[in-house]
Amino acid sequence: MDRELRRRIDRGALAMFVCIALAGCTSPITPTRIERALETTFANLVELQVARLRLPPIAAPDFAVTAICRKPAARSNAGAGDWTCALVWQGPNRQTLRDTYDLFVATDGCYTATVAGESLGGPILRASDGSDVRNLLYSFEGCFDTL
Amino acid sequence: MLRGIGAVTSVECSKLAAQMKTRIVLAACVAGPFVFAVAMRVQSNVPADTLFGRSITESGLAVPLVVLGFAALWVFPVVASVVGGDLFSSEDRYGTWATLLTRSRTRAEVFAGKVVTALGFSLLATVVLASSSIAAGLLAIGHQPLVNLSGVLLAPGPALVRIATAWASVLPSAIGLTALAVLASVATRSSAAGIGLPVVGALTMQLYAMVDGPEVIRRSLITSGFGAWHGLLAEPSYYGPIGHAALAGMLYLVVCLTIARHVLRHRDIGG
Repeated sequence: MDRELRRRIDRGALAMFVCIALAGCTSPITPTRIERALETTFANLVELQVARLRLPPIAAPDFAVTAICRKPAARSNAGAGDWTCALVWQGPNRQTLRDTYDLFVATDGCYTATVAGESLGGPILRASDGSDVRNLLYSFEGCFDTL
Repeated sequence: MLRGIGAVTSVECSKLAAQMKTRIVLAACVAGPFVFAVAMRVQSNVPADTLFGRSITESGLAVPLVVLGFAALWVFPVVASVVGGDLFSSEDRYGTWATLLTRSRTRAEVFAGKVVTALGFSLLATVVLASSSIAAGLLAIGHQPLVNLSGVLLAPGPALVRIATAWASVLPSAIGLTALAVLASVATRSSAAGIGLPVVGALTMQLYAMVDGPEVIRRSLITSGFGAWHGLLAEPSYYGPIGHAALAGMLYLVVCLTIARHVLRHRDIGG
């Protein structure tokens, strides 16, 4: 009885160790997590930017942002480091817009996104009332849960 | 026992209050954020490589979060070890163990009193730095709404609650790191090692955390707790890293203090 119990405990411990090892070796920085975080943050920032530029308000979901992210120059499409994300979204005039962001994603799930090219303007924009505002979409940061 | 610990703590606190290094650290915790906030206000460059660095001239509420991000690297390890790493080894340096233990306090009471003092100083320094950072941001820049890590605008009231919670979330890690400094101080009997080892250890852990290694190990590092607050400033908020940080901090505290107590208890202190 004791030997049987011990064998079961040993087997359970081994299974737990394998589970932890497997969970530990798979990076939680996945394309899905990055895409979901980027879509939400980008849409919220566009809503904010529209308000700052004193344009007619539009709600974040109306921008219908979709992101596709990949890790260039890497063997696996997961893990911290440099990522490239292609965004497709609906602009304020209902036109379809495409933008590309270069991301640096840290191991804790925080990232810095910088727009590739000048499609969204420079770091500073001019509002409709003539004042200068920081371009929130030029470069921004965000974080997502890695659990 | 409690009276004994209280007496030792009281003596240690009065010794600390008279030391220049303690005053310098606390003065730096008060003045540092104000110098930083004023510097940010008078010049145009922003610390864009730190979270909330880009927003620092737009909202004073970003100041405590930038300071919190910066403090994780050097300030918390130094604050944790400057007292914790010296409290035991200073008795070795001055050769005062024998004298100390002839007093009417037991070795356990002396140990507990010194540990309480070290932990108390770490907590005090963190609270002072947090209060000073918040005050510096509000006074030097203002209380404009803050754009969080999901691009949502936070009103000053809710933002302040989250900022205070973010600072509170680093306390378990600060306590764990202080316990590590106490262990280094007791085990090596050297203040240089007591202060230096935890700082170097914390830096090594942070370097390791930058490498894309197993997540289980990254989360069990004491320094990971210093960045656990990020989830509080996201929408929806997530709290998993804070729970892990609290657990890791308590684990470091219990393990380090148990070993340190064992080492001190079995040390042969001769006169």
